[in-house]
Parts: sequence; C-alpha cells; structure tokens
Amino acid sequence: MNIPRRRVALACAVTALAATALAGCASGSDTSSSSGNNNKALEIVYWNYGPAAESGNKSTADAFMASHPDVKVTLTPVTGENWGTYYANVATLIASGKRPDLMVISGEGAQFVHSNNLVQPINQYLEKDAGAKAITADIAQGLIDGFTVKGDVITLTYGWNDMVVYYNTDAFTKAGLEPPSADWTWDDFKATAKKLTADTNNDGKPDQYGFTWASNEIFPGIMPWVANAGGNLTSDDVCAATVDTPQVNKAVTFLNDLIKEGIAPAPMPMSDVFTRFQNGQVAMFGAGRWPIATFLPAGFKAFDIQLYPKGDTYKTVFGGAGYPILKSSQNPDLAWEYQKFTVSDEIEKQYVGTPDKPGDSIPSRRSVAETISKVGVPPANSDLYYNSIDKYPTLVPYPAPAKYSTFESTVLRHLQQIFAAETSVPDGLKSLQSELSGIVTC
Amino acid sequence: MTTSSTLRPGTGDHAVADPGPPAPRRRRGDGAAALAFLTPSIIMFLVFVLAPTVGVLVLSFYNWNLLSDGTFVGLDNFDRLFHDERLLGVYGSTTYMALAILAVNVVLGLLLAVLLETRMPNWLRGFFRLSFLFPFVVSASAVALIWRFLLNKDLGLVNYLLGLAGVDRIDWLGSSAFAPVSIIIVNSWKTIGFSILVYIAGLQSIPKQLREAAIVDGAGAWTRFWRITFPLLSPTIFFLVVINTINSFQIFAEPRVLTQGGPGDSSRTIVEYLYDRAFGDFDLGYASAIGITFALVLVLLTAIQFWFSRRWTHYS
Repeated sequence: MNIPRRRVALACAVTALAATALAGCASGSDTSSSSGNNNKALEIVYWNYGPAAESGNKSTADAFMASHPDVKVTLTPVTGENWGTYYANVATLIASGKRPDLMVISGEGAQFVHSNNLVQPINQYLEKDAGAKAITADIAQGLIDGFTVKGDVITLTYGWNDMVVYYNTDAFTKAGLEPPSADWTWDDFKATAKKLTADTNNDGKPDQYGFTWASNEIFPGIMPWVANAGGNLTSDDVCAATVDTPQVNKAVTFLNDLIKEGIAPAPMPMSDVFTRFQNGQVAMFGAGRWPIATFLPAGFKAFDIQLYPKGDTYKTVFGGAGYPILKSSQNPDLAWEYQKFTVSDEIEKQYVGTPDKPGDSIPSRRSVAETISKVGVPPANSDLYYNSIDKYPTLVPYPAPAKYSTFESTVLRHLQQIFAAETSVPDGLKSLQSELSGIVTC
Repeated sequence: MTTSSTLRPGTGDHAVADPGPPAPRRRRGDGAAALAFLTPSIIMFLVFVLAPTVGVLVLSFYNWNLLSDGTFVGLDNFDRLFHDERLLGVYGSTTYMALAILAVNVVLGLLLAVLLETRMPNWLRGFFRLSFLFPFVVSASAVALIWRFLLNKDLGLVNYLLGLAGVDRIDWLGSSAFAPVSIIIVNSWKTIGFSILVYIAGLQSIPKQLREAAIVDGAGAWTRFWRITFPLLSPTIFFLVVINTINSFQIFAEPRVLTQGGPGDSSRTIVEYLYDRAFGDFDLGYASAIGITFALVLVLLTAIQFWFSRRWTHYS
C-alpha cells in the first residue's frame, strides 16, 4: 500500500509542478502576445485608485478601439496610496522591463517624468497636427502651461481640478447665514466659520466646526491659503523652497489660529473630511471637483461651492492629469492619436457625467465643461469650476518638484507639528525650509 | 557486539531497551519523492526570500533610482546611516513602540489566557476567544482606518466617551506624546488575540495531574502558577517573545494610516522610514542599506533572546 500511495503522491507533486511551470509559460506567452511588437498595439499604465479609475480608463480604451478597430489597447492598472507612490510603482514596472506607450500622470508628476527623461514632449505634434490647434484653443492656457516644463509640453490635459470651498447648505440655513459670495475675504470667512461652529450637546466643547482641511495633502490643504496670501511653497521654476516667507507664514498662522480658537478641529485626512462634512460635523472644507463622485452617489446633495476667500490677492490653485507619451513607446504617433482622443468630445463628456454618476474632475475642454450645469450635475454653482481658471487668470500651478513625494511628506510632517502646537509657526517653517533646501533643487 | 544484538528488534530482550516500532526502511525513489514535495517550497523560498535578500544586499552597494542605470558606490550607503539625523530618532520611536507592544502581548496576553482558562460557561469562553481573535484576522489597514475615526481629537468617539467621565480631549493622533501610544494600543488590540491563542494551547498541554497533585500538597494558586504553570509554559512564552519582537519591530500599516509617522517622527517606524526612502525618494540603495542593517539588528536581538532563554526556558 505504501508504494502506490507514494507513487500517487509523487505523481501529484510532479503534476502540480508541471502545471505550475506550464501556467508560467502560458502566462509568459500571453504577455508577449499582448504587448509584443505589434505596431498597432498600445499599452497604457494608469493609477488604479478605485473602481472609477478602472471603469474610466476601460471605457476610454474601448471607445478608442471601437473607432480604431485595428488597434489593440492593453491597460495596466498600477496601485498606489497616492500619486507619489503610483509613480514609484510605475518606475518599478519600467525597471522590470515593461515598455508602456502612455501613462496617466497628474501635474505633480510633470517635473518627475521630465527630469527622469521618461516622456516624449508633444510640441512637434501640436505644431504639425491640423486638429491640435482647435483642441488647444478650447483648453484654458493655464492648463497647457501647467504641463509645460522648460518649454516642453508634456501632455494635453484631459481633466483637472481647482481648489474651491465646499459648504454644507443645510448648516448655513440652520445658522441663518447667506451663501458666501465670490468676493469674500479671509475675515468674512473666519466670521462665517465661527458662526457655523457649535456645541450642539452643551458639553462646553464644540462638536460642529466651521471649517477643516486635509492633513494628508498639500493641494487641498494649505496651498490655496498660501497662494491667496501671495506666496508659494517653491519658486516659480520649482528649483528652490520658499516656505519661510512672510506670505506662507501668514497663511499657516491663519489656519493655526482657526484651530487655536476652536473654529477648526485637529486636521484629518481627506477621506475623514468627506464623512464629517456629509454628517454635518464640518460645515466647510476645500477640495477640487472630486468630492462629488463620493457625495452624489451617496445621495448627499446639500452642498455648494464658492471660490476660496481673497487674502492679499486671489489666485486659483489647480492641477490636472493627462496621458503623456513615454519614450519607451514603439509607436509614438499612435500614442499621440490616443492622447488626442482622451480630449475628444466623446471622452470629455464622461468627465461631465450625470447627476447620479458624476465625473470626478473638470473636463479640460471649455466647451464641454460648460455643459455641466446644463446636464444638471450638482452643485448649483458648477460653472465656477471652469470660470475660476478663465475669469480669474492669476494662476498658481500646484508646486511639484521632481522629488515630489519627498517634498510633500516633508511639508506635511512639519505642518503636523505646527498644527499640534508642538512648535511655533515661524520655527516650524524655518525648520521646514532648512530641510526642503536639500529636496527642492534643479 | 552483544549490545547491538540486544538492541536489534525481535530478539525478545525487552529488559535492555524497547526498540519501539521498526524503523521504516528506505526505498529507492524516496529521495526523489522528498525532493518533489520540497521543490515547491524551495522554489518559493529561492524566488521570494533568498533572491530578494541577495538583491537587497547587492542594491545596498549601489546608487539606483529605479529608472536610470545604477552606480556602484561601495559602502557609501552604509556610511550615510551614521550621518542621517533622523534615523536614530526613528530607531528610538520604533523601539519604544515595539517594546511596549511586546510587553502587552506577552504579559497581558498571558493574563487574559489564564483568565480564559478559568471556570466559565462555554458560550462565554467562546465569546471572549472570538472577541480577542477577531481583530487578528482582519486587515490592519481597514482596522487602522476605523481607529483613526474613533481617535480623532475633536470629533472622535473615544474622546466623547472620556468627556462623559470628565476627561479633557486627548490629541491621540496629533501629539508626539500620544501618537505612539495610539499605535501601541491599536497594534496590541489587533495582535493580542494571536498571543492568547498560543498561550491557551500551551496551558492546555500542561498535564492536569501536576496541578491536581500540587493542590493535594496544599500549594496555593500563585505557587501553582509560579512552580508549575510558568516553567512548563516557558517554551510558549519564549516563542511569543521572539515572534512578537520581530513582528512589533516591523509594524507599518498602523503608523502609516493613523499618524503618517508623525507628528515629526514621533510615531514613525523603521519599516515606514525605509519605505519612504525607497519609494518616496527613489533612493533604493540607501533604503536597502537601512533594510540590511535593520535585519541584522533583528537577528542580533533574536540571538540574544535565544542566549538568555537557556536560563529560564524549560523543555521538560
């Protein structure tokens, strides 16, 4: 009995090994066929931050293949907790031998992909392609400039976000407040936030706050305040840190005072902000258009948007996303066709969405973005999204040095200490400036 | 010569030695069968453990950012370890949190396991066991997200409940003093179920006759624990000390989700720091040097534990 059992076991083990080996071979051959030397094939890498990313990229790829039946598009989803780690994972992918044709990047990645010589600029296509001029004329100049590094246009932007203030309309009504106007100031904002702060259970401490901001991101966190104080976190050429300036000091002090005065709670990550805003514990916060993709499907519509309040100046802080052509592309002309397709009417309308299934960013084409309010996608003041870049042309592209991930984590680490009252604003910013001087360089 | 004959099975001389069951005879093909069974494990070990380890060792001698060709820099990455102003602080915060988590798991875990082995209705015992073990089997990131919500200073449930008892709001996640404490609490809450499970198995393997005999001899509860339970449980305690030391020094998800390592580096762990250097700074060489030295520190700690265990661990 022993011998047959052992033989059976041996046979099973050998079979399992053989199956594993064959599966490996099969997998390898499949990969080579899908991303091989076929000139009519494109491989696209995107950040798979959730179901919306997957379905959005798939529908774009499907639509492209429907209009180009001889082209096969292969999508490669890449995970990452934020844009920074996504870039790191794409770099790992490329280091392992993958040669994608296009990859999705945000504004934060423009310097990174340029300084690492990963992308092929599209300047020549913009000059030679007959259809390109009509497209770029329909895109706000700031969105093109935001993806231009040292004269090289990295990509066309298919979608973008500017920072606006979201406010809970029920909270405003309950507090007897009128909706804020576009010309409100920091003082108006603070007074409004104070009126929206309440101790609803009478325990002597507030449990409903006027405002908060994301602790885990700079873009919807301190950046709009810094810009409206007339400052920035880096120089215009993104070659030097500028965080110990009076302007940055003023912005961070303003936010810090909101915490000290009990108008804002201790900062929390953006996903927590969404929840607190929907349940009325926070009456206002700042973000781009992406929160509506969470709010509307959840049935939450009691909100509207307004520009950030004016400080010493008013500047729109924005960032976008696009599909740059990688130098590893074996068919850059076809990749350009794909990039152009991502800003076509058909695709841009996806970013408008519907009231029940809204897009999560602003279409970059003005003519398409203008349809958001006509389609009826909340909030009521949706026209403001594109107007903020067209009618308030003083723009601040989101500061994104080549070492973006390190830059952001360093800024956030020091801000944590400031907002936890473990260091003063001037000392904290001075220490931050010192550390960033070795990170923000050219 | 006679000795060998007396030990040979089937001689009938059981007074000399009990030969036990006959040793299985090796047959042709046994080696091949063993190799076939071991091959998957060997392949997995080579591919997922040995090869990456060698890779990291090689990388630690290079300056490489994933995208460009690497440059051989000799021991430069290891030299940087001594000039990294943050590294020592991060080692300090890691050690503080790891030792606290270790203590909670080993001491509180034992206490809870002993309590669970006392007389109580089976349904209640089952309820407690499930309650303690459940956090261990759920995702660390998901758990940390929920804790982050609960521990929010101004809007969290924990501070609300403490407020009912007259306690002022504690900045669990935002202050240097409490952020590491939060990590310790959340990680211990998650992992203690495993320690309790292992302790219970250890307790159940102690022969009841020994304790019963001690009771007959008039030994009290403490004497029984100290003279019987603890010595016989010492291999289990040692196992948990080693495993929990390694695991608690390697925590990543909790600080990443709860505090992002802050404020400053007060709740940052070495693994998180290493990750940021590799995939934030794209400094793979330096991250590898941190990883290699950290692994050596853990090996050294484990070796010390084995050395000292000889003094207090009883295997019979």
